Amino acid sequence: MTTLNSKIPQGPLAEKWTKYKADQKLVNPANKRKLDVIVVGTGLAGASAAASLGALGFNVKIFCISDSPRRAHSIAAQGGINAAKNYPNDGDSVGRLFYDTIKGGDYRAREANVYRLAEVSNSIIDQCVAQGVPFARDYAGLLDNRSFGGAQVSRTFYAKGQTGQQLLLGAYSALSKQIKDGTVKMYERKEMMDVVLVDGKARGIITRDLQTGKLERWFGHAVIVATGGYGNVYYLSTNAMNSNGSAAWQCYKKGACFANPCYVQIHPTCIPVHGDYQSKLTLMSESLRNDGRIWVPKKKEDAEAIRAGKLKPTDIAEEDRDYYLERRYPAFGNLVPRDIASRAAKERCDAGFGVGSGQAVYLDFKAAIERLGKDKVAARYGNLFQMYEKIVDQNPYETPMMIYPAVHYTMGGLWVDYELQTTVEGLFAAGEANFSDHGANRLGASALMQGLADGYFVLPYTIQNYLSKEIYSSPIPTTVPEFETAENDVRAKIEKLMNIKGSQSVDTFQKKLGHIMWEYVGMGRTKEGLTKAIPMIQALREEFWKDVRITGDQNSMNPELEKALRFSDHVELAELIAKDALHREESCGGHFREEHQTEEGEAKRDDENFMYVAAWEYKGNGEPELHKEELNYEFIKVQQRNYK
Amino acid sequence: MKLVKLASITKKMTLAAVGAFLLIFLPMHMGLNLCIIRDDGGEWYRNVCHFMGTNWIVKVFEVILLATVLIHVIVAILLTIENLRARGSVRYAVPSKTKTHFGSKYMIWTGGLIFAFLVLHFVNFYFAKFGLVEGVYTVKTEKLQMHITDKVLDIQQQMESGKIDQQKAQEMMMNLQMEYMPYLQLTQSGQPADKLSKDGKEIINLRGKKELESFAGKDFTDYEPDFYVMCNDLFKNKMYSLIYLLALIILGIHLFHAINSIFQTFGLNHRKYNKAIEYLAAGYAVIVPIGFAIVPLFVLFCK
Amino acid sequence: MNLTLKIWRQENARAKGRFETYKLENISPDCSFLEMLDILNEQLVNKLSHPVCFDNDCREGICGMCGLYINGRPHGPDDGVTTCQLHMRRFKDGDTIVIEPWRAKPFPIIRDLVVDRTAFDKIIQEGGYISATTGGVPDANAIPIPKHKADEAMDSASCIGCGACVAACKNASAMLFVSAKVSQMALLPQGRPEAAKRVQAMVAKMDELGFGNCTNTYACEAECPKSIKRSNIARMNREFLCAKTCSEE
Repeated sequence: MTTLNSKIPQGPLAEKWTKYKADQKLVNPANKRKLDVIVVGTGLAGASAAASLGALGFNVKIFCISDSPRRAHSIAAQGGINAAKNYPNDGDSVGRLFYDTIKGGDYRAREANVYRLAEVSNSIIDQCVAQGVPFARDYAGLLDNRSFGGAQVSRTFYAKGQTGQQLLLGAYSALSKQIKDGTVKMYERKEMMDVVLVDGKARGIITRDLQTGKLERWFGHAVIVATGGYGNVYYLSTNAMNSNGSAAWQCYKKGACFANPCYVQIHPTCIPVHGDYQSKLTLMSESLRNDGRIWVPKKKEDAEAIRAGKLKPTDIAEEDRDYYLERRYPAFGNLVPRDIASRAAKERCDAGFGVGSGQAVYLDFKAAIERLGKDKVAARYGNLFQMYEKIVDQNPYETPMMIYPAVHYTMGGLWVDYELQTTVEGLFAAGEANFSDHGANRLGASALMQGLADGYFVLPYTIQNYLSKEIYSSPIPTTVPEFETAENDVRAKIEKLMNIKGSQSVDTFQKKLGHIMWEYVGMGRTKEGLTKAIPMIQALREEFWKDVRITGDQNSMNPELEKALRFSDHVELAELIAKDALHREESCGGHFREEHQTEEGEAKRDDENFMYVAAWEYKGNGEPELHKEELNYEFIKVQQRNYK
Repeated sequence: MKLVKLASITKKMTLAAVGAFLLIFLPMHMGLNLCIIRDDGGEWYRNVCHFMGTNWIVKVFEVILLATVLIHVIVAILLTIENLRARGSVRYAVPSKTKTHFGSKYMIWTGGLIFAFLVLHFVNFYFAKFGLVEGVYTVKTEKLQMHITDKVLDIQQQMESGKIDQQKAQEMMMNLQMEYMPYLQLTQSGQPADKLSKDGKEIINLRGKKELESFAGKDFTDYEPDFYVMCNDLFKNKMYSLIYLLALIILGIHLFHAINSIFQTFGLNHRKYNKAIEYLAAGYAVIVPIGFAIVPLFVLFCK
Repeated sequence: MNLTLKIWRQENARAKGRFETYKLENISPDCSFLEMLDILNEQLVNKLSHPVCFDNDCREGICGMCGLYINGRPHGPDDGVTTCQLHMRRFKDGDTIVIEPWRAKPFPIIRDLVVDRTAFDKIIQEGGYISATTGGVPDANAIPIPKHKADEAMDSASCIGCGACVAACKNASAMLFVSAKVSQMALLPQGRPEAAKRVQAMVAKMDELGFGNCTNTYACEAECPKSIKRSNIARMNREFLCAKTCSEE
């Protein structure tokens, strides 16, 4: 029976982390050399954790699904990274960043974790600058900031529209140094297939070599999973093609609780879907909302005429445009948090005011171009405009962009305590793979902050508290039965998949799953829809195991097999998402239940009954068991979120 | 595996440095060539050739120049082999459609053609200096006269010292006279007319070793090749002029990329001066070949 | 639109490769190039054959994973984009498209169009970093960096490591890739302490791995999807010369 112990240190909020660090156990340098740590995933969290642990002297093995750590999807984050540096002197502080993040997360995050995140945010910026990350600077040569959704201060550091890339390359360079120094061993094109438990502790993993299909066993005194989110369960998302929730799902099946799976962030500014061959959705940075104004036609007939191609957006007079975000949220206007902006767009489109295919709204830069001049707009957003034009074949300087929400980030993930340890001893989760810091909704520019905070400044401390107890356990040979069984299970699963020899490709199934999820477990969820979706997902799973067709063989590079393995997990994960969404009878952040909304259509939380983290425990073929971690807000006054 | 254990950039810089050295030589050579168009019967031109052929500083430079060319060629070949290997065993099926800097892709080919031309050029001019190939020579009458006088004095000395008898001496004098009959005839009668310079100080237009010997004898070495005549002769040959002009175009292409490359390779770039470097390269690559081209065009059309 | 595809197929690194021809019908011009290949693969799976392997991930031009040599140009006929950002509207109905993998000795083929680019990582491991371990670093604003330098460093740093420069170069030279990293670090004051060591080590590794020499054709610059400039190479040359002649490292 698993019990959730969040291990939050006692004491005042601002002193918890300091106190923890003062009290925790450390491992002495001679012992560090004897301890093996496995890191799965090379994104911001994984690479920074591996680099930091390597620098401390641990023996680190890091596994990468691609050919290089630099491919991890952290690289695609465009906008920026938050920190409470208060360089612009606009009233920012650790406390305010903490408060904004808790509020942005709709009061569903753990106070202590978020405070720690805000606390270390400044060190992240220092660290990155020292690594040579070329953040934008002003003419004095000092760091520049921009504002972002959900905040009233400018606290976002950025590197053009490629902040994620620069931060990842920073972490990658630190990792490269450790590889050179021999403290970290890099294994590329290997995908984690299972986590191996010995005596209840995570002691290693099974990987599949994506080039040769070979299954391999790896030992570690501790395992860190930093494998990102599960947005690709929805098929169309802004995630990369190889991003998947499989590794986290394997941990879940080995006993790690999965928390808040229904908290899925739908990003408001993506390029709309335009065909069923489409493989992914492209995100346009949220920073566009700084200067772009979002609107749809005021009159339904105008919207219809636009959809029919009879009118152009530029034909609509100013007074006939409905700048619905500015209308509904005068204080934050176009800069409301993501969940609110997304839902508002869906509301307008569902009401029949959508443009394009009906599933799109305009993001207009006319006012910005008039105010700032084309050159300044080009300097700020040039590369994004160019990207948009490449994809859609329309010039955003002349005609407004079309945008629509798309699945972007998953706040849910493996449940972790204050030390980022899951409910399985020795198994840690970092970055998007854990659930910890964003509550029910993540603010823009906070994902990069969290990933790096976990990797650089949290795990290197907290993991030592665990490893200090492991200095007496010598490495376990990978020939023990636990490894043997785990590998055989994986092999059996692969062989089973290969032998189905059905008639439908994996993509067909993933697309079907995506449709179900987007339709019933997407932006607006209902009890009715969710109860309908669950059996549909189950049926799809059965169909998959009977009728999937995988060509090629298992002993060489085989993308179809990779996709099938991932889908087999995604379809199970989808069910848990739906179940979690069904059980949470309230609306909060990324989870919007249409039954629970205010008269103005805002999310209506039920703090009395649902102010907890829902952590699901795997129970074989039976129903997963729900554990609740109550959220006690000691330092913050819980309020209705209000961006008006 | 690298062929030479030097860093790629070091090899590149070597190539560029010796190339840059060669660039100093070209305008000098061009200036020398242009003397030919002065209407002085080749006086300046011959003087310059004489200076270049005899001054010891120039001779030292000649050796350095040759070594430089050799290094340039060897390094270029080395780099090319390495570069071919770097592509791997299978090459692209579709030839590259990438836009590249003008002439840059064909440096080894333009270089190779220039080298081939250089060989031809050497055969025609430089080898003649060492008598490796037939050239046109001139001999200073004063020097030849001294040479003959030395021989006569030598016979007399031998006779006086009793090494040979009078009869033998007379025989030798006869032979000497026979050997230099053409020369004597030339200086005394002025025949044939085209072999003697106007002031009578030089025997000119001696075509080939045989003719040279017929006037100056076998053991006379103080002759000089007459580049003025050789040059005029060659360029009157339309085919040769055409090859020469084509070689200059190729040289221009080679030079344009080469000069740009020198700056790039040594990292001498700055966005304020990059345009100037392009212009400099273009200017040099056009002006120098045109300077050289004037000579054959002048010989062909203005003489 | 209807297309004929000629695609390089190769089972593994040691196998002998060959071109296979495929016909595709009714492709939407709004389709991206990789989505077109997805459609082909879907059809191949339906015909029970092995789908064409090609590297791809983010599909928005930033991860650097995709890279195909399309009709004689890395990343296809458009300038400044990656293969995943290329759209079929760039082609005409009835076109024949020849797709080859990157060809360079240091990039051995893994399967079909997938090549092994870990050589790039090995070069970075030789010095493409600033040795600042976690913690104990000065405040981010402690060293002001002139805006133009920071911007230039950013331009250099925007390399995505796709390998198009190597693929485009007739010599399979990695100079643009290496110089972009050397430049980024050389431009920033934080990178100066290790500058001399870095440039020598990275160049040595690049040579050792079998990349060709730079002959300044600038094919790399022309094909770089992120428009990394040749001036980076010049800067690296300069850094290299200074390091070799003046530095004690």
